Amino acid sequence: MKGVDSGLRENLQSFFSLDYPKFELIFSVADARDPACRLIEDLMDKNPGVDARLIIGAVEVGPNPKVNNMMRGYHQAKYDVTLISDSNVRVPANYLTVLMPDLDDETGVVSAVVSGQAPQGLGGRLEATFVNTFYARWMILGSALGFPMVIGKSMLFRRSVSARFGGIQNLSKFLAEDFMAGQAMMHLGLKIKHMRIPCPQVIGKHSFSDFWNRHVRWGRMRKVQSPLALFFEPVNGPIVSGLLGAFAAHKLFGVAFGTFFAAHVGFWFLNDLVVMSFLGAEIPYATPLFWLLREATSIPHWMHILSGNTVLWRGAKLKLQPGGTLAEPASAVARTA
Amino acid sequence: MFLADLHIHSTFSDGKLAIPEIVDLYGSKGFGAIALTDHLCESNTLMGKAAAYMNRTLTPAVFPLYMEILRTEAARAWDQYKMVVLPGIELTKNSVINHRSARILGLGISKYIEADADVVQLARAIRAQGAVAIATETLLSKRTELASEIDAWEVACGKKLSVELLESGLPKIATGGFHSAKHLSSWKTVFFCERHPQAILDAIRNQDLKLFQYQEESSHDVSKHLDLGGMGLRNGTDGRGNDPVHGALPLSVTGSKILVGSGTSFDPQAFEGRRLRVAGESAELLQS
Repeated sequence: MKGVDSGLRENLQSFFSLDYPKFELIFSVADARDPACRLIEDLMDKNPGVDARLIIGAVEVGPNPKVNNMMRGYHQAKYDVTLISDSNVRVPANYLTVLMPDLDDETGVVSAVVSGQAPQGLGGRLEATFVNTFYARWMILGSALGFPMVIGKSMLFRRSVSARFGGIQNLSKFLAEDFMAGQAMMHLGLKIKHMRIPCPQVIGKHSFSDFWNRHVRWGRMRKVQSPLALFFEPVNGPIVSGLLGAFAAHKLFGVAFGTFFAAHVGFWFLNDLVVMSFLGAEIPYATPLFWLLREATSIPHWMHILSGNTVLWRGAKLKLQPGGTLAEPASAVARTA
Repeated sequence: MFLADLHIHSTFSDGKLAIPEIVDLYGSKGFGAIALTDHLCESNTLMGKAAAYMNRTLTPAVFPLYMEILRTEAARAWDQYKMVVLPGIELTKNSVINHRSARILGLGISKYIEADADVVQLARAIRAQGAVAIATETLLSKRTELASEIDAWEVACGKKLSVELLESGLPKIATGGFHSAKHLSSWKTVFFCERHPQAILDAIRNQDLKLFQYQEESSHDVSKHLDLGGMGLRNGTDGRGNDPVHGALPLSVTGSKILVGSGTSFDPQAFEGRRLRVAGESAELLQS
């Protein structure tokens, strides 16, 4: 955890309200001066019946700050089965009850498709649209094709199994430690599963530049982890595929270019509405507008992603290397991407 | 005496099975040693880059994961099957022009090696780690210049036997070139040393080994087949210590038959006490 974002109290409270019979909560914060510490201590005071701990201090095992932040808590956890979750996730009370049965002996990680909830501001709306359409599509498609699609927002696994590849500290040189955890589990011959319900991520307020920078980071991560998939990403969107389809339909069958393109984009939008509905996302009247804006910005976004190999994350400028590893932080910057 | 396959690929490159699945497969068949030798391709060529993009090669990024999984699986393989798992790599230079392609196995490696150097330097880098460098048939044309840099030559891989290498007099081993379970029936090496990583590496260097064509059968029993070593096959190729082909005739045993090369079969009773002439993959029994 780092800092207090909007909705953090409610997000953390949702973990105190889990109905699973036996569990402990561990909150990992790197710096004792982080205001999140007071909030966590307050929640622990108000929920005395829940076995919870605040663990302060990062252990420098590599350039990935999230892994460093988790190390103490990871090693001090009481139980073998571990759920790693981000602080912007707000879980339903039955979350562990639904997750746990999927973690059988043949399964390495149970992850989830994310559902973007409660967006605010233009950036927040675009973020929710991105998460609930494009990102969900990739997760579902990649998973169906057998790729280890794991996201760090919700990763359920056994530490005894992760010890077989050296534990999460062995993933600390990667930016996408979640994706690599999935890869490592696959190399152990274990399955990657997605839970039957989506993982609710509270998006909150974002500016347009927050949205833009965040997805440049995610995109550059995909660029070094799966460059071929990133190269073909524009085709997994209505505009490029619509232009290609309209051109072909016009040349081959004489169909009016504009008619085909409009029908294609409209049909794509309806499909995305189904995905959003499945994820339980809010669908306000302005949804088509945000959807169109998100799709229209996807090509310049993609070009920006291709143009570099550095990312801003948790106050540090990090350089990505082939294979998804991180060079040591080049310089600290004032804001988190 | 135990059977070993020292050329196996996993999901870390172009193999179909994960390392634990490979350990269980070979362990359950009674093998005494295996070596995982995933491809480690050049990073500065188009084909090497393509292999990296498609996750078909070890890279500096995933190498520590590979080694850690090998370390934990080696411990499990020993506890469960008394089988040795050697960490290895196949340094791979792929080229559309065949004579530029080159592959060297490194068995017993502990550190990452860049595959971009020339083959002599690669062999030296392997041996500098105390590992064993094994040249594949791709380097056949360079066997004279590489002779002093290489610990053994892969005379047979999969179901293929290189007669030229077999007859070259160079130190040799045979391997399965395993990528999936269907490759289990293939050439292997029989060792007579202790089941220990260093002992196996030394046995390769000292050539205390035999080539063996393993045939997977539904009721396969490795130990029963290897009992035929007691008939005198170890110290000679014809049961009497005679040596028709440079000391190491490829032998394999399946059911009641002995296979020579990859095609001809003999009744073992008929084999005893008789000389054998081998030419390529065929053989004939001579009157004693």
